[in-house]
Amino acid sequence: MSKHSVQVKVFRYDPARDADPYYLEYAIPFEPRMSAMNALDFIYHNIDSTLSYYDHAGCSLGICGRCVGRVNGKTVLLCQTAITGDTVIEPVSTGRTLKDLVMRKGRRDDAEPTKDTD
Amino acid sequence: MTEHVRTEVLVIGGGGAGFRAAIAARHSGARVLLLSKGPLGRCGATPMAGADFTLDGRSMHELGRDGDLNDSREKVFNDIVTQGYYLNNQKLAEHYVHTAPLLLRDLLDWGLKIMLSDQRAVITSGLHIMDVLLRKARSVGVEMREDIMALDLITNGGAIAGVLALDVRSGEFIRIAASAVVITTGGWHKAYWPNTGMRDLSGDGIAMAHRAGALIGNMEFVTFACNIMLDPPMWRGSLAPYVLSLVCGGSLTNNCGEEILAPYDPVVVKTGTTTEWNKSFVSHATAREVRLGKGFRNGGVHYSRGDVSWEVIKLVASITFPGWKYKAMDLTEWGRMLEANEPVEVGPAVEYFDGGIVVNERFETAIPGLFAAGECCLGPFGANRIFSAITEILVQGRDAGEHAAHYALTEGGAQPPIAGFEALEKKALLPLARNNEVRPAFLRRELQLRAQRHLGPIRNKNELEEFIIYLRGMKQNHLPHLGTASSGRVYNKEWIDCLELGDLVHLLEASARCALARTESRGVHFREDFPVCDNDRWLVESIVEYAEGDPKVCTRPVTATTMSPPGGKMPYLDMMKKMMQSHSDTGGMH
Repeated sequence: MSKHSVQVKVFRYDPARDADPYYLEYAIPFEPRMSAMNALDFIYHNIDSTLSYYDHAGCSLGICGRCVGRVNGKTVLLCQTAITGDTVIEPVSTGRTLKDLVMRKGRRDDAEPTKDTD
Repeated sequence: MTEHVRTEVLVIGGGGAGFRAAIAARHSGARVLLLSKGPLGRCGATPMAGADFTLDGRSMHELGRDGDLNDSREKVFNDIVTQGYYLNNQKLAEHYVHTAPLLLRDLLDWGLKIMLSDQRAVITSGLHIMDVLLRKARSVGVEMREDIMALDLITNGGAIAGVLALDVRSGEFIRIAASAVVITTGGWHKAYWPNTGMRDLSGDGIAMAHRAGALIGNMEFVTFACNIMLDPPMWRGSLAPYVLSLVCGGSLTNNCGEEILAPYDPVVVKTGTTTEWNKSFVSHATAREVRLGKGFRNGGVHYSRGDVSWEVIKLVASITFPGWKYKAMDLTEWGRMLEANEPVEVGPAVEYFDGGIVVNERFETAIPGLFAAGECCLGPFGANRIFSAITEILVQGRDAGEHAAHYALTEGGAQPPIAGFEALEKKALLPLARNNEVRPAFLRRELQLRAQRHLGPIRNKNELEEFIIYLRGMKQNHLPHLGTASSGRVYNKEWIDCLELGDLVHLLEASARCALARTESRGVHFREDFPVCDNDRWLVESIVEYAEGDPKVCTRPVTATTMSPPGGKMPYLDMMKKMMQSHSDTGGMH
């Protein structure tokens, strides 16, 4: 099975070391109905393990609501947003970066918990 | 900037057991700090749960619900013990049965809303339970910290004295002095891939308790949920087909197009697909197909609706996944596939750990001042769990919290030695200085895939020995060289992975050694080279001593109170059928 690849452009910024934010592009193998989170996992596992995104906890299944980010400019849950081609992944607010895609705490809009609607 | 904190009761773990323990310890008059590895109320396994809370039908009736008056606590006890193939700690099973109704009453008083109920269970959701507990914990003054990972316990004179923790965001250490500690860190799902749990469940609590001198046991009993979505990537790990198949049925086929359950006893198939016996039975049957080379690309089989009408599927889905949504997961495409009778690939994925830290009925471990509750414990379910884990974590959490508070206020107060903190900090910092000699994520994925293959629902001697050699090699050759690509401490996820990996390897080794020692088949442990349930020899718990990091397995008799364990030997599936048929004559799914 030949897989085609897609370009994923990721926001990077370590305030302790970098003067300014920048973007890095990664080529990753595409699988149908893969999420932005799957793409980040691939990058972290196989290409660049210096990348930070909220991963030490979280469910990957759209339940905990912690992986809020922006995919192609739209605010979404990274784990339940399918990527279909070349993609840009950024934090919700680039001005509040703790590191890369992880945001500083403060106002709770970085991690709007999923409301239990049942 | 290392932070220094002092508390009376420290709770490690932000799931249901931890919150219930923290609330109980506050109610008992202690100052309480709870550490949540991930977001408050949104980490651990509890938020992922469906979730049912199980209790006897008579108590259901007394709570004003539809419950069977002919049911009783004794009958529930009988069912838990037979579902556990008599390997249960009967004292903990009695505690579960007797405490469950009180705990449900508490939850209702605190605002729990019930979605549905049957004669032995109320159905709500894990997220809702967490919201209720979080609100209660806040109102009684539990101090809570999120994104904090506990690294190790510190003792003084053999008694618990403190904990070294890490603020995952800042990368700074927190030195905590605590008079009593309750571990409620849940399972170690992260040792397997795919799994059904959160990314935080790496068994840290079980491993640190073991290192500090507590015993762990029954580590070979790992429950796999069946019919877990394996593909596409975005749905991997979802329980949606598990839920739908349990309620509606459907068809499971291998790569030859054969119905995989056709060869089995119809009685076993019926109970093993329409009740939560499905976890052990269908996972066993699926693993068998995959091992015979009859699986698909992702190590699973195909699930489709088969003969079940689209109307029935649609009706059930409208309740379980309204609008084909499960929280933020959009399952519309799966709905279309079900209507067209197209398959999805599903398989067994690790869901629950029956073994863990050895506790007594006061939830004390072997270390004075160290308590444990919930899924991280060797609990009431023996070799196989059908009754609800949500009930288990809450009944145990409450009592562990009360006993911990009592200890903290009367006996506790050993001071944690500074040198203890310093030594642990030095060790924890090592990966940051090693410049990525060995990358943890790469090793972890290899480890997870091997665990799925060699320590899945079906095991044998050769594979377990091979796996143990692999784990020993990893301990000796790779773990000492784990390093990070970046030396920064702020949200360095690779550093966290380095710190977790040793625990995963240790728990897998303990589990594999227990599985190798247990030369019989029982519950969720099936040995293809010993396919017989041997009640004469193996009605014993597996107990693991730490032994300087080289886990050593021994046994101790099961704790029996009123139900005498049977004798004799019986083929695995015959014993499963017998245990299924030992169920009380009562209503309710459990």
